[in-house]
Amino acid sequence: MAAVAMALTGCSGGSGGGSGGAASDTLAVNWGGFPDSWAPGAEMEAGYMRVPYENLVALDRQGEISPVLATEWEQTDEALTLELRQGVVFHDGTAFNAEAVKVNLETIQKSKGPYAGPLKVIESIDAVDEHTVRLNLSEPTPSLLTTLSTRATPMASPKAIAAGTIAQQPVGTGPWAYDPDASTRGTRMTFTSFPKYWGGPASVGFKTIELYAIPDDNAAAGALSSGQVAITDVERSQLSRLKGTPGIESLAYPAIRNNPMFFDRGPGGVFEDVKVRRAACYALDTAALAKVEPDFKPRAQHFAEGEVGYNAEIAGYKHDLAQAKRLYEEAGSPPVEATVLAAPFTEKQNQVYASQLAKLGMRIKVQVAPPPQFFSTWNGGKYALGLGSNDELTAYDWYKAWFAEDAPGNPSGVESEALKKAAGEAIAAGTSPEAARLWGEVTRIVSEEALTCGHVAGEETIAWQSGKVEGVEAPPQPWETNMVNYRDLRPKGE
Amino acid sequence: MRKLIAYRLVLAVPQLAAVSLLVFALTYLVPGSPAGAMLGAGATPERIREVEAQLGLDRPAFERMGDWFGHALGGDLGVSYTSSLPVTDLIVQRMPATLSLAFGGMVVALILGIGLGAIAGMRPGHTDRAIGAGTSVGLAIPEFWFGLILSLLFAIKLGWVPVVAYTPFTENPLAWLRGLILPSLALGIPAAALIARQTRGAMVQALASPYIDTLTAAGVPRRTIVLRYALKNAMVPVLATAGLTFRILFGSSFVVEAVFAFPGAGNLLLTSVVAKDFPVIQGGVLVIALLVIALNLLIDVGYGLLDPKVRPQ
Repeated sequence: MAAVAMALTGCSGGSGGGSGGAASDTLAVNWGGFPDSWAPGAEMEAGYMRVPYENLVALDRQGEISPVLATEWEQTDEALTLELRQGVVFHDGTAFNAEAVKVNLETIQKSKGPYAGPLKVIESIDAVDEHTVRLNLSEPTPSLLTTLSTRATPMASPKAIAAGTIAQQPVGTGPWAYDPDASTRGTRMTFTSFPKYWGGPASVGFKTIELYAIPDDNAAAGALSSGQVAITDVERSQLSRLKGTPGIESLAYPAIRNNPMFFDRGPGGVFEDVKVRRAACYALDTAALAKVEPDFKPRAQHFAEGEVGYNAEIAGYKHDLAQAKRLYEEAGSPPVEATVLAAPFTEKQNQVYASQLAKLGMRIKVQVAPPPQFFSTWNGGKYALGLGSNDELTAYDWYKAWFAEDAPGNPSGVESEALKKAAGEAIAAGTSPEAARLWGEVTRIVSEEALTCGHVAGEETIAWQSGKVEGVEAPPQPWETNMVNYRDLRPKGE
Repeated sequence: MRKLIAYRLVLAVPQLAAVSLLVFALTYLVPGSPAGAMLGAGATPERIREVEAQLGLDRPAFERMGDWFGHALGGDLGVSYTSSLPVTDLIVQRMPATLSLAFGGMVVALILGIGLGAIAGMRPGHTDRAIGAGTSVGLAIPEFWFGLILSLLFAIKLGWVPVVAYTPFTENPLAWLRGLILPSLALGIPAAALIARQTRGAMVQALASPYIDTLTAAGVPRRTIVLRYALKNAMVPVLATAGLTFRILFGSSFVVEAVFAFPGAGNLLLTSVVAKDFPVIQGGVLVIALLVIALNLLIDVGYGLLDPKVRPQ
């Protein structure tokens, strides 16, 4: 009986990066929920995806494209040609080559997830030779390299893709390979050091990464407190509770961006008059929103300093109700009655904005819908305005998604001549140094015409056990949710 | 008894068909397209239509329903929209954790419920009132809150058990048992209150029956009277409550799964409902309906074993 009791209360489960004073080479991390599928093209949180998988290129902290599995590239209006790193193998021993890139990109193009769309511009893929691949484009796409750096395009073993096992057993080229024998399905996924990693297995600090999926915020915080995991994403509300535990540290970094969009801008539209739009923008108070939703940080524009598209001249629309009323009167105070569709996760933000616009006399009704209905219809033209995430990383993608005449996020199909001209010049500049200034001009016009405003950056919070892991920082890839700088992490005291 | 089982099995077919039809209709009544959920905020109407066509959602609903029934009869529950994995595989992977949790909760509920209920029934006065007060508290406790409290105390403060603890039985039976302790208590204690109340009432009634006086007069020891006669007879109404309790536990286990990060069917079904992943919802509900029908059959068989009078003639 005593033996059973001892066994039942003995130590097991995740190491959390080890216990006791000795440094452990195992890092246990939680990001809330495993991907439904590990196949390229499936929706995967970066913190899971970037353990076994790598991309062709990366976007560094300076916003520059840097080599990963591709070492060189050349882009024209017609094609993007990539020279691939030699001597790279997937975890199952399959060689990484031009054919593997072709298989991966075509798999993503055929997928039913959100990542197939951005790759539609690739008309065909040629494996020029073993280590050279050419992506033939249907139109000039200056943002394609950026797309290839995101979680939209991981490189997985073509052998595992063909076998159909990739959905549940990731096989990539990264420093850590999935070890099903050391894992517990649904609870813990263990990734061990890959001896044939092209960067050398010693290039990373931890030999083993254990990934957990703890959906409940309280349980996640508890797992961190008890040392079962060493790093977890947490809700800001949990931080006060975690402060009582010695050695817990945290950081917050901007991970998502969203802003209201004025869709009904066509002739006779509710938001046709730029003065009405500007009035609405001045009436919005993102600082007040931040008091209700502390994760949101107000910003004057969509892009952050250092990103292509950022323009220091943009002042944005700092809340000024008097100015808003003056502009609205100048516009003739046309009645503004509209419905905005909200998802459960944007309801509160929509309600705050609706109440702020009500002070101007604008009557905005917030209609909440389940996510499938929201995603299907919020920006399709049925609603005069909307609030959704803008996760485009480049100014080109942002413009093409929301403001171009034929943009899916511009249901009224209205685009000013000034914006069209500026965007045309920026696209023509391709990836030249001049492009950054020209895209800055595009975003200035977007702001001036008040096509959108009320910019906020939503922050993610990560907490960790400083006694077990050191070097924790925000992820090197910008605007990635649930992610940490895995490769820079080291066991404490190593 | 064989007739009863055969009759119930035949009846299960239209029951399952009705449940499937109802779920199918309900999922289609909810507005919004699964393609919209899969593609996210930046989806274009054209792309949504394209993915709907890939999923076969552009076909008439009755045609899709007929297809689904046809495949389901052959054991093929289709493929998940979101993961592209066979629904049968997903359910087979997830169900053991949910069933472990539900059975663990049931064991706790039965042991505590019958034990405390029997004691309360046998000992009127302070003991009965104390247990009555305890069951009132137990009934009022939400499982997820109780789970959090247990987790905070035993996993985080005392470190006796891990916060995330599920291990499949086939992998390590001892670790499986250890991982079940807290969630089973969280799930089982509120349910035990319900069973305890029913047991107490049935026990009071059984002990007041004339045959108890006869047995006492015949010199049968009190312990034998209580355990062999009174408790056995009290179990007939308790069994009905236990069956109902298990069904409630099965539903509540979905909430407790989240608290203890159990990789069960609850989380799968909840996310599938949000994403309108029809094949997973349909398959999951069908399997749950099958389990409930099987449980009802077991309870009816149990009635027959406990009380020959209720066996079908």
